[in-house]
Amino acid sequence: MIKVTYVAQDGTETTLEAEEGASVMRTAVSNDLDGIVGECGGSMMCATCHCYVDEAWQDRAGRRSDDEDEMLEGAASEVTERSRLSCQIKLDQSLDGLIVHLPEEQL
Amino acid sequence: MALAPLDEAITLDQLSSDPYPIYRRLRAENPVLRVAATGRTLLTKAALTKAVKDNPELFSSDDPQTPMRPAFRAHTLMRKDGQAHFVERKAISKALTPTRIKSDWGPLYEQLAERYIARLPRGETVDLFADLCGPLAARILAHILGIPEASDEQMQRWSQLLIDGAGNFGWKPEPFLASDAANDEMDALFAQLEPIRRAEPDGSAFSLMLNADDPIPMSQIHANIKIAIGGGINEPRDALATIIYGLLTNPDQLDEVRAQAVWDKAFEEGIRWVAPIQASSRLVTKDTELCGFDIPKGDTVMTIQASANRDEELYEDGESFFVFRDKNPHQAFGNGPHHCAGAHVARRTVGKIILPMLFERFPRMALPKPEEVVWKGFGFRGPINLPVVLN
Repeated sequence: MIKVTYVAQDGTETTLEAEEGASVMRTAVSNDLDGIVGECGGSMMCATCHCYVDEAWQDRAGRRSDDEDEMLEGAASEVTERSRLSCQIKLDQSLDGLIVHLPEEQL
Repeated sequence: MALAPLDEAITLDQLSSDPYPIYRRLRAENPVLRVAATGRTLLTKAALTKAVKDNPELFSSDDPQTPMRPAFRAHTLMRKDGQAHFVERKAISKALTPTRIKSDWGPLYEQLAERYIARLPRGETVDLFADLCGPLAARILAHILGIPEASDEQMQRWSQLLIDGAGNFGWKPEPFLASDAANDEMDALFAQLEPIRRAEPDGSAFSLMLNADDPIPMSQIHANIKIAIGGGINEPRDALATIIYGLLTNPDQLDEVRAQAVWDKAFEEGIRWVAPIQASSRLVTKDTELCGFDIPKGDTVMTIQASANRDEELYEDGESFFVFRDKNPHQAFGNGPHHCAGAHVARRTVGKIILPMLFERFPRMALPKPEEVVWKGFGFRGPINLPVVLN
Protein backbone atom coordinates (compact mmCIF):
# COMPACT_ATOMS: atom_id res chain seq x y z
CA MET A 1 0.00 0.00 0.00
CA ILE A 2 1.09 3.53 -0.81
CA LYS A 3 0.30 6.33 1.61
CA VAL A 4 -0.60 9.85 0.50
CA THR A 5 -1.11 12.78 2.84
CA TYR A 6 -3.41 15.64 1.88
CA VAL A 7 -2.94 18.91 3.76
CA ALA A 8 -5.97 21.21 3.74
CA GLN A 9 -5.77 25.01 3.86
CA ASP A 10 -6.47 25.00 7.60
CA GLY A 11 -3.60 22.59 8.18
CA THR A 12 -5.72 19.46 8.65
CA GLU A 13 -3.83 16.42 7.43
CA THR A 14 -5.53 13.33 6.04
CA THR A 15 -3.48 10.29 5.16
CA LEU A 16 -5.04 7.80 2.75
CA GLU A 17 -3.93 4.44 1.51
CA ALA A 18 -3.77 4.21 -2.26
CA GLU A 19 -3.54 1.38 -4.69
CA GLU A 20 -0.60 1.15 -7.04
CA GLY A 21 -1.52 2.85 -10.32
CA ALA A 22 -4.32 4.97 -8.86
CA SER A 23 -4.01 8.73 -9.18
CA VAL A 24 -3.80 11.21 -6.31
CA MET A 25 -7.22 12.52 -7.46
CA ARG A 26 -8.87 9.08 -7.66
CA THR A 27 -7.56 8.14 -4.22
CA ALA A 28 -9.04 11.30 -2.71
CA VAL A 29 -12.39 11.03 -4.47
CA SER A 30 -12.92 7.35 -3.67
CA ASN A 31 -12.28 8.16 0.00
CA ASP A 32 -14.72 11.09 -0.05
CA LEU A 33 -12.01 13.59 0.85
CA ASP A 34 -13.13 17.22 0.83
CA GLY A 35 -11.02 19.56 -1.23
CA ILE A 36 -10.50 17.46 -4.37
CA VAL A 37 -13.50 17.42 -6.70
CA GLY A 38 -12.25 15.70 -9.84
CA GLU A 39 -15.50 16.26 -11.64
CA CYS A 40 -14.37 15.08 -15.08
CA GLY A 41 -13.06 11.78 -13.76
CA GLY A 42 -9.43 12.36 -14.64
CA SER A 43 -9.64 13.32 -18.30
CA MET A 44 -8.01 16.73 -17.80
CA MET A 45 -11.15 18.63 -18.65
CA CYS A 46 -12.19 20.42 -15.49
CA ALA A 47 -9.23 21.60 -13.35
CA THR A 48 -11.08 20.76 -10.14
CA CYS A 49 -8.41 18.40 -8.74
CA HIS A 50 -5.72 21.06 -8.43
CA CYS A 51 -3.10 20.42 -5.73
CA TYR A 52 0.31 21.75 -4.70
CA VAL A 53 2.97 19.07 -4.43
CA ASP A 54 5.01 19.42 -1.26
CA GLU A 55 8.43 20.85 -2.01
CA ALA A 56 10.22 17.75 -0.81
CA TRP A 57 8.31 15.59 -3.27
CA GLN A 58 8.33 17.81 -6.33
CA ASP A 59 11.07 16.00 -8.24
CA ARG A 60 9.70 12.54 -7.57
CA ALA A 61 6.12 13.51 -8.47
CA GLY A 62 7.31 14.82 -11.83
CA ARG A 63 6.59 17.97 -13.77
CA ARG A 64 3.34 18.87 -15.43
CA SER A 65 2.83 18.29 -19.13
CA ASP A 66 2.01 21.08 -21.59
CA ASP A 67 -1.65 20.05 -21.76
CA GLU A 68 -1.84 19.93 -17.98
CA ASP A 69 -0.24 23.34 -17.84
CA GLU A 70 -2.90 24.78 -20.14
CA MET A 71 -5.73 23.19 -18.18
CA LEU A 72 -4.30 24.60 -14.96
CA GLU A 73 -4.86 28.07 -16.37
CA GLY A 74 -8.47 27.29 -15.59
CA ALA A 75 -7.92 26.47 -11.94
CA ALA A 76 -9.97 28.43 -9.44
CA SER A 77 -7.09 29.06 -7.02
CA GLU A 78 -3.63 30.52 -7.56
CA VAL A 79 -1.34 28.41 -9.71
CA THR A 80 2.28 28.15 -8.57
CA GLU A 81 5.28 26.18 -9.77
CA ARG A 82 4.19 23.40 -7.42
CA SER A 83 0.71 23.18 -8.92
CA ARG A 84 -0.38 19.90 -10.49
CA LEU A 85 -3.65 18.35 -11.54
CA SER A 86 -3.83 15.49 -9.09
CA CYS A 87 -5.47 13.23 -11.69
CA GLN A 88 -2.18 13.31 -13.57
CA ILE A 89 -0.06 12.04 -10.67
CA LYS A 90 -0.14 8.26 -10.81
CA LEU A 91 0.99 6.53 -7.66
CA ASP A 92 3.68 3.88 -7.37
CA GLN A 93 5.99 2.74 -4.57
CA SER A 94 8.41 5.59 -5.24
CA LEU A 95 5.67 7.98 -4.13
CA ASP A 96 4.86 6.19 -0.86
CA GLY A 97 4.57 8.98 1.72
CA LEU A 98 3.73 11.70 -0.83
CA ILE A 99 2.44 14.95 0.62
CA VAL A 100 0.18 17.28 -1.36
CA HIS A 101 -1.39 20.55 -0.26
CA LEU A 102 -4.95 21.47 -1.19
CA PRO A 103 -5.93 24.83 -2.67
CA GLU A 104 -8.40 27.26 -1.19
CA GLU A 105 -11.10 26.34 -3.69
CA GLN A 106 -11.66 24.12 -6.70
CA LEU A 107 -14.80 25.63 -8.21
CA MET B 1 -25.35 -14.52 -21.09
CA ALA B 2 -28.48 -12.71 -22.24
CA LEU B 3 -29.35 -9.33 -23.62
CA ALA B 4 -30.93 -6.87 -21.21
CA PRO B 5 -34.71 -7.19 -20.96
CA LEU B 6 -36.78 -5.34 -23.56
CA ASP B 7 -39.50 -2.93 -22.49
CA GLU B 8 -42.24 -2.10 -24.95
CA ALA B 9 -44.59 -0.32 -22.55
CA ILE B 10 -42.73 2.89 -21.72
CA THR B 11 -43.57 5.70 -24.14
CA LEU B 12 -41.67 8.86 -25.08
CA ASP B 13 -44.66 10.88 -23.89
CA GLN B 14 -44.39 9.33 -20.44
CA LEU B 15 -40.66 10.01 -20.34
CA SER B 16 -41.26 13.61 -21.36
CA SER B 17 -44.11 14.40 -18.99
CA ASP B 18 -42.90 12.71 -15.79
CA PRO B 19 -39.96 10.31 -16.05
CA TYR B 20 -39.04 10.20 -12.37
CA PRO B 21 -41.47 7.49 -11.16
CA ILE B 22 -40.33 5.36 -14.11
CA TYR B 23 -36.66 5.87 -13.30
CA ARG B 24 -37.28 5.04 -9.65
CA ARG B 25 -38.85 1.75 -10.70
CA LEU B 26 -36.05 1.00 -13.17
CA ARG B 27 -33.36 1.64 -10.56
CA ALA B 28 -35.02 -0.96 -8.34
CA GLU B 29 -36.01 -3.50 -10.96
CA ASN B 30 -34.18 -3.02 -14.29
CA PRO B 31 -31.18 -0.69 -14.09
CA VAL B 32 -30.13 -1.95 -17.53
CA LEU B 33 -33.16 -1.98 -19.82
CA ARG B 34 -33.70 -1.84 -23.56
CA VAL B 35 -36.54 0.63 -24.03
CA ALA B 36 -38.15 0.13 -27.42
CA ALA B 37 -39.56 3.66 -27.65
CA THR B 38 -36.07 5.16 -27.40
CA GLY B 39 -34.25 2.51 -29.43
CA ARG B 40 -31.61 2.50 -26.73
CA THR B 41 -30.47 0.68 -23.63
CA LEU B 42 -31.26 2.87 -20.62
CA LEU B 43 -28.84 2.92 -17.68
CA THR B 44 -30.39 4.36 -14.54
CA LYS B 45 -27.94 3.71 -11.66
CA ALA B 46 -25.25 6.27 -10.76
CA ALA B 47 -22.38 3.77 -10.77
CA LEU B 48 -23.36 2.63 -14.28
CA THR B 49 -23.77 6.07 -15.82
CA LYS B 50 -20.47 7.21 -14.37
CA ALA B 51 -18.58 4.09 -15.43
CA VAL B 52 -19.85 4.42 -19.00
CA LYS B 53 -18.92 8.09 -19.34
CA ASP B 54 -15.50 7.52 -17.78
CA ASN B 55 -14.71 4.89 -20.42
CA PRO B 56 -14.76 6.63 -23.81
CA GLU B 57 -12.79 3.86 -25.53
CA LEU B 58 -15.59 1.38 -24.93
CA PHE B 59 -18.48 3.85 -24.91
CA SER B 60 -17.80 6.32 -27.69
CA SER B 61 -19.35 9.71 -28.35
CA ASP B 62 -18.42 9.37 -32.02
CA ASP B 63 -21.70 8.49 -33.63
CA PRO B 64 -21.54 8.78 -37.42
CA GLN B 65 -25.33 8.41 -37.66
CA THR B 66 -26.19 11.29 -35.37
CA PRO B 67 -28.77 13.83 -36.57
CA MET B 68 -26.48 16.39 -34.94
CA ARG B 69 -24.39 16.31 -38.08
CA PRO B 70 -26.99 17.75 -40.47
CA ALA B 71 -28.41 19.96 -37.69
CA PHE B 72 -25.06 21.68 -37.10
CA ARG B 73 -23.82 21.10 -40.66
CA ALA B 74 -20.64 19.80 -39.04
CA HIS B 75 -19.17 16.90 -37.13
CA THR B 76 -18.88 18.68 -33.78
CA LEU B 77 -16.70 18.09 -30.74
CA MET B 78 -19.70 16.72 -28.85
CA ARG B 79 -19.54 13.71 -31.12
CA LYS B 80 -15.78 13.20 -31.24
CA ASP B 81 -13.41 11.27 -29.01
CA GLY B 82 -9.77 11.38 -28.00
CA GLN B 83 -7.35 13.87 -29.50
CA ALA B 84 -9.80 15.23 -32.09
CA HIS B 85 -12.18 16.18 -29.29
CA PHE B 86 -9.42 17.41 -27.01
CA VAL B 87 -7.97 19.88 -29.56
CA GLU B 88 -11.31 21.50 -30.32
CA ARG B 89 -12.39 21.55 -26.72
CA LYS B 90 -9.15 23.18 -25.62
CA ALA B 91 -9.66 25.90 -28.22
CA ILE B 92 -12.94 27.05 -26.68
CA SER B 93 -12.49 26.09 -23.03
CA LYS B 94 -9.99 28.91 -22.56
CA ALA B 95 -12.93 31.30 -22.68
CA LEU B 96 -14.76 29.36 -19.97
CA THR B 97 -12.20 29.05 -17.16
CA PRO B 98 -12.77 30.39 -13.64
CA THR B 99 -9.84 32.78 -13.93
CA ARG B 100 -11.18 34.20 -17.18
CA ILE B 101 -14.65 34.49 -15.69
CA LYS B 102 -13.39 36.34 -12.64
CA SER B 103 -11.01 38.67 -14.43
CA ASP B 104 -12.79 39.42 -17.70
CA TRP B 105 -16.42 38.71 -17.18
CA GLY B 106 -17.52 38.97 -13.55
CA PRO B 107 -18.43 42.68 -13.64
CA LEU B 108 -20.17 42.34 -17.01
CA TYR B 109 -22.30 39.40 -15.82
CA GLU B 110 -23.35 41.43 -12.82
CA GLN B 111 -24.34 44.39 -14.99
CA LEU B 112 -26.32 42.17 -17.34
CA ALA B 113 -28.10 40.40 -14.48
CA GLU B 114 -28.87 43.74 -12.86
CA ARG B 115 -30.28 45.16 -16.08
CA TYR B 116 -32.54 42.15 -16.76
CA ILE B 117 -33.72 41.87 -13.16
CA ALA B 118 -34.29 45.63 -12.81
CA ARG B 119 -36.75 45.70 -15.69
CA LEU B 120 -39.07 43.14 -14.06
CA PRO B 121 -42.24 44.84 -12.74
CA ARG B 122 -42.76 44.78 -8.97
CA GLY B 123 -46.13 43.66 -7.61
CA GLU B 124 -47.20 41.82 -10.74
CA THR B 125 -47.34 38.20 -11.82
CA VAL B 126 -44.48 37.53 -14.19
CA ASP B 127 -43.48 34.41 -16.07
CA LEU B 128 -39.85 34.31 -14.97
CA PHE B 129 -39.09 31.49 -17.39
CA ALA B 130 -39.94 33.60 -20.44
CA ASP B 131 -39.08 37.04 -19.07
CA LEU B 132 -35.85 36.36 -17.21
CA CYS B 133 -34.37 32.87 -17.37
CA GLY B 134 -34.24 32.53 -21.16
CA PRO B 135 -33.27 36.06 -22.20
CA LEU B 136 -30.61 36.51 -19.50
CA ALA B 137 -29.02 33.13 -20.27
CA ALA B 138 -28.97 34.12 -23.96
CA ARG B 139 -27.44 37.54 -23.30
CA ILE B 140 -24.65 36.28 -21.06
CA LEU B 141 -23.79 33.52 -23.52
CA ALA B 142 -23.71 35.94 -26.46
CA HIS B 143 -21.02 37.93 -24.65
CA ILE B 144 -18.99 34.89 -23.62
CA LEU B 145 -19.00 33.63 -27.18
CA GLY B 146 -18.07 36.98 -28.70
CA ILE B 147 -21.28 37.51 -30.64
CA PRO B 148 -23.10 40.12 -28.50
CA GLU B 149 -24.45 41.59 -31.75
CA ALA B 150 -26.92 38.67 -31.86
CA SER B 151 -30.24 39.50 -30.19
CA ASP B 152 -31.77 37.53 -27.30
CA GLU B 153 -34.48 36.39 -29.67
CA GLN B 154 -31.97 35.14 -32.25
CA MET B 155 -29.84 33.33 -29.67
CA GLN B 156 -32.86 31.55 -28.18
CA ARG B 157 -34.40 30.71 -31.54
CA TRP B 158 -31.13 29.38 -32.99
CA SER B 159 -30.54 27.35 -29.87
CA GLN B 160 -33.95 25.72 -30.05
CA LEU B 161 -33.70 25.02 -33.80
CA LEU B 162 -30.28 23.40 -33.36
CA ILE B 163 -31.62 21.27 -30.52
CA ASP B 164 -34.70 20.29 -32.51
CA GLY B 165 -32.50 19.29 -35.44
CA ALA B 166 -30.03 17.40 -33.25
CA GLY B 167 -32.92 15.47 -31.70
CA ASN B 168 -34.56 14.70 -35.04
CA PHE B 169 -34.11 10.94 -34.74
CA GLY B 170 -37.04 10.39 -37.07
CA TRP B 171 -35.00 12.19 -39.77
CA LYS B 172 -37.98 14.29 -40.88
CA PRO B 173 -37.10 17.05 -43.37
CA GLU B 174 -38.71 20.04 -41.60
CA PRO B 175 -36.41 20.27 -38.55
CA PHE B 176 -33.35 20.17 -40.81
CA LEU B 177 -34.80 22.86 -43.10
CA ALA B 178 -35.32 25.02 -40.02
CA SER B 179 -31.83 24.34 -38.63
CA ASP B 180 -30.36 25.04 -42.09
CA ALA B 181 -31.98 28.47 -42.08
CA ALA B 182 -30.59 29.12 -38.59
CA ASN B 183 -27.13 27.96 -39.71
CA ASP B 184 -27.26 30.43 -42.61
CA GLU B 185 -28.08 33.27 -40.23
CA MET B 186 -25.34 32.28 -37.80
CA ASP B 187 -22.69 31.79 -40.50
CA ALA B 188 -23.50 35.21 -41.95
CA LEU B 189 -23.17 36.89 -38.56
CA PHE B 190 -19.92 35.07 -37.72
CA ALA B 191 -18.42 36.07 -41.08
CA GLN B 192 -19.42 39.67 -40.51
CA LEU B 193 -17.90 39.75 -37.00
CA GLU B 194 -14.72 37.85 -37.79
CA PRO B 195 -12.58 40.83 -38.86
CA ILE B 196 -13.67 42.80 -35.79
CA ARG B 197 -12.80 39.98 -33.35
CA ARG B 198 -9.45 39.60 -35.08
CA ALA B 199 -8.65 43.31 -35.07
CA GLU B 200 -9.72 43.89 -31.47
CA PRO B 201 -8.94 40.71 -29.54
CA ASP B 202 -10.86 40.15 -26.31
CA GLY B 203 -11.51 37.25 -23.95
CA SER B 204 -14.50 35.93 -25.87
CA ALA B 205 -14.56 32.41 -27.29
CA PHE B 206 -14.69 33.62 -30.90
CA SER B 207 -11.77 36.00 -30.44
CA LEU B 208 -9.64 33.48 -28.54
CA MET B 209 -10.24 30.80 -31.18
CA LEU B 210 -9.51 33.19 -34.07
CA ASN B 211 -6.36 34.62 -32.53
CA ALA B 212 -4.87 31.38 -31.19
CA ASP B 213 -1.26 30.61 -32.15
CA ASP B 214 -2.34 27.45 -33.88
CA PRO B 215 -6.01 28.00 -34.65
CA ILE B 216 -8.42 25.18 -35.43
CA PRO B 217 -10.06 25.35 -38.89
CA MET B 218 -12.69 28.05 -39.40
CA SER B 219 -15.38 25.43 -39.99
CA GLN B 220 -14.69 24.02 -36.51
CA ILE B 221 -14.60 27.48 -34.95
CA HIS B 222 -18.11 28.01 -36.30
CA ALA B 223 -19.18 24.54 -35.17
CA ASN B 224 -17.85 25.18 -31.66
CA ILE B 225 -19.80 28.42 -31.34
CA LYS B 226 -22.94 26.69 -32.57
CA ILE B 227 -22.48 23.87 -30.09
CA ALA B 228 -22.20 26.45 -27.34
CA ILE B 229 -25.38 28.18 -28.57
CA GLY B 230 -27.24 24.87 -28.77
CA GLY B 231 -25.88 23.70 -25.45
CA GLY B 232 -25.49 26.87 -23.45
CA ILE B 233 -28.88 28.51 -23.17
CA ASN B 234 -31.37 25.82 -22.18
CA GLU B 235 -29.23 24.52 -19.35
CA PRO B 236 -28.67 27.71 -17.36
CA ARG B 237 -32.24 28.77 -18.20
CA ASP B 238 -33.74 25.52 -16.94
CA ALA B 239 -31.37 25.35 -13.97
CA LEU B 240 -32.39 28.84 -12.86
CA ALA B 241 -36.10 28.13 -13.24
CA THR B 242 -35.78 24.80 -11.41
CA ILE B 243 -33.87 26.31 -8.47
CA ILE B 244 -36.31 29.22 -8.12
CA TYR B 245 -39.17 26.69 -8.09
CA GLY B 246 -37.37 24.54 -5.52
CA LEU B 247 -36.74 27.47 -3.20
CA LEU B 248 -40.19 29.05 -3.53
CA THR B 249 -41.93 25.75 -2.81
CA ASN B 250 -39.67 25.16 0.21
CA PRO B 251 -39.77 28.50 2.06
CA ASP B 252 -37.97 27.11 5.14
CA GLN B 253 -35.03 26.18 2.97
CA LEU B 254 -35.14 29.54 1.22
CA ASP B 255 -34.90 31.32 4.59
CA GLU B 256 -31.94 29.19 5.56
CA VAL B 257 -30.22 29.66 2.19
CA ARG B 258 -30.64 33.39 2.60
CA ALA B 259 -29.41 33.37 6.19
CA GLN B 260 -26.32 31.32 5.39
CA ALA B 261 -25.82 32.87 1.91
CA VAL B 262 -25.37 29.42 0.38
CA TRP B 263 -26.83 30.10 -3.06
CA ASP B 264 -24.12 27.89 -4.50
CA LYS B 265 -25.51 24.92 -2.55
CA ALA B 266 -29.01 25.75 -3.82
CA PHE B 267 -27.59 25.74 -7.33
CA GLU B 268 -26.01 22.29 -6.92
CA GLU B 269 -29.18 20.87 -5.41
CA GLY B 270 -31.39 22.29 -8.14
CA ILE B 271 -29.38 20.72 -10.93
CA ARG B 272 -29.17 17.45 -9.01
CA TRP B 273 -32.91 17.36 -8.41
CA VAL B 274 -33.89 18.03 -12.03
CA ALA B 275 -30.79 17.85 -14.22
CA PRO B 276 -31.20 20.20 -17.21
CA ILE B 277 -29.54 17.55 -19.39
CA GLN B 278 -31.20 14.34 -18.33
CA ALA B 279 -29.75 11.77 -20.70
CA SER B 280 -26.77 11.21 -23.01
CA SER B 281 -26.01 8.61 -25.65
CA ARG B 282 -22.87 6.56 -26.11
CA LEU B 283 -22.08 4.10 -28.89
CA VAL B 284 -20.74 0.70 -27.78
CA THR B 285 -17.46 0.02 -29.63
CA LYS B 286 -17.06 -3.68 -28.77
CA ASP B 287 -19.06 -6.46 -27.19
CA THR B 288 -19.18 -5.96 -23.46
CA GLU B 289 -21.45 -6.51 -20.48
CA LEU B 290 -23.13 -4.39 -17.87
CA CYS B 291 -24.68 -5.84 -14.69
CA GLY B 292 -24.48 -9.32 -16.17
CA PHE B 293 -26.22 -8.47 -19.44
CA ASP B 294 -24.63 -8.65 -22.88
CA ILE B 295 -24.18 -5.25 -24.46
CA PRO B 296 -23.29 -5.85 -28.10
CA LYS B 297 -21.01 -3.72 -30.23
CA GLY B 298 -23.06 -1.15 -32.17
CA ASP B 299 -25.68 -0.84 -29.44
CA THR B 300 -26.40 2.67 -28.15
CA VAL B 301 -26.57 3.01 -24.39
CA MET B 302 -28.21 5.97 -22.78
CA THR B 303 -26.90 7.24 -19.47
CA ILE B 304 -29.77 8.72 -17.50
CA GLN B 305 -28.04 11.20 -15.22
CA ALA B 306 -31.49 12.43 -14.14
CA SER B 307 -31.91 9.03 -12.50
CA ALA B 308 -28.32 8.72 -11.28
CA ASN B 309 -28.86 11.99 -9.42
CA ARG B 310 -31.65 10.41 -7.35
CA ASP B 311 -29.98 7.03 -6.84
CA GLU B 312 -30.89 5.63 -3.42
CA GLU B 313 -27.31 4.38 -3.04
CA LEU B 314 -26.06 7.96 -2.99
CA TYR B 315 -28.99 9.95 -1.68
CA GLU B 316 -31.45 9.79 1.13
CA ASP B 317 -34.82 10.87 -0.28
CA GLY B 318 -33.34 11.91 -3.59
CA GLU B 319 -36.82 12.62 -4.93
CA SER B 320 -37.02 15.75 -2.76
CA PHE B 321 -35.38 19.12 -3.19
CA PHE B 322 -33.16 19.50 -0.12
CA VAL B 323 -30.37 22.05 -0.26
CA PHE B 324 -28.62 21.01 2.93
CA ARG B 325 -27.34 17.59 1.96
CA ASP B 326 -23.98 16.55 3.40
CA LYS B 327 -22.65 15.40 0.06
CA ASN B 328 -23.98 16.10 -3.38
CA PRO B 329 -21.94 14.10 -5.92
CA HIS B 330 -24.41 14.70 -8.73
CA GLN B 331 -23.72 14.02 -12.38
CA ALA B 332 -25.64 16.97 -13.82
CA PHE B 333 -22.50 18.19 -15.58
CA GLY B 334 -21.67 14.68 -16.72
CA ASN B 335 -18.21 13.25 -16.27
CA GLY B 336 -15.36 11.95 -18.35
CA PRO B 337 -13.89 13.84 -21.33
CA HIS B 338 -17.20 15.47 -22.21
CA HIS B 339 -17.73 16.92 -18.75
CA CYS B 340 -19.67 20.17 -19.29
CA ALA B 341 -17.32 22.88 -20.52
CA GLY B 342 -19.70 25.52 -19.21
CA ALA B 343 -19.80 24.22 -15.63
CA HIS B 344 -17.67 27.03 -14.22
CA VAL B 345 -19.67 29.70 -16.03
CA ALA B 346 -22.99 28.22 -14.89
CA ARG B 347 -21.89 27.96 -11.25
CA ARG B 348 -20.66 31.51 -11.29
CA THR B 349 -23.50 33.20 -13.17
CA VAL B 350 -26.51 31.31 -11.85
CA GLY B 351 -25.23 30.30 -8.42
CA LYS B 352 -23.17 33.28 -7.36
CA ILE B 353 -24.68 36.23 -9.24
CA ILE B 354 -28.25 35.80 -10.49
CA LEU B 355 -29.90 33.90 -7.61
CA PRO B 356 -28.76 36.18 -4.77
CA MET B 357 -29.49 39.29 -6.83
CA LEU B 358 -33.00 38.16 -7.74
CA PHE B 359 -33.99 37.18 -4.19
CA GLU B 360 -32.50 40.37 -2.81
CA ARG B 361 -34.51 42.55 -5.18
CA PHE B 362 -37.75 40.64 -4.59
CA PRO B 363 -37.45 39.37 -1.00
CA ARG B 364 -41.12 38.35 -0.85
CA MET B 365 -41.29 36.73 -4.27
CA ALA B 366 -43.96 33.99 -4.28
CA LEU B 367 -45.24 31.19 -6.43
CA PRO B 368 -48.95 31.17 -5.50
CA LYS B 369 -49.92 28.22 -7.69
CA PRO B 370 -47.06 25.76 -8.04
CA GLU B 371 -49.46 23.25 -9.58
CA GLU B 372 -49.70 25.50 -12.64
CA VAL B 373 -46.01 25.04 -13.40
CA VAL B 374 -45.57 22.62 -16.29
CA TRP B 375 -42.46 20.42 -16.40
CA LYS B 376 -41.40 18.91 -19.66
CA GLY B 377 -38.66 17.02 -21.41
CA PHE B 378 -36.87 13.71 -21.72
CA GLY B 379 -33.41 14.73 -23.03
CA PHE B 380 -33.54 18.26 -21.67
CA ARG B 381 -35.86 19.02 -18.77
CA GLY B 382 -37.17 21.95 -16.76
CA PRO B 383 -40.28 24.02 -16.10
CA ILE B 384 -41.65 25.67 -19.23
CA ASN B 385 -43.42 28.40 -17.26
CA LEU B 386 -42.87 29.98 -13.86
CA PRO B 387 -45.63 32.44 -12.89
CA VAL B 388 -44.35 34.22 -9.80
CA VAL B 389 -45.56 37.34 -8.02
CA LEU B 390 -42.67 39.76 -7.60
CA ASN B 391 -42.53 41.62 -4.28
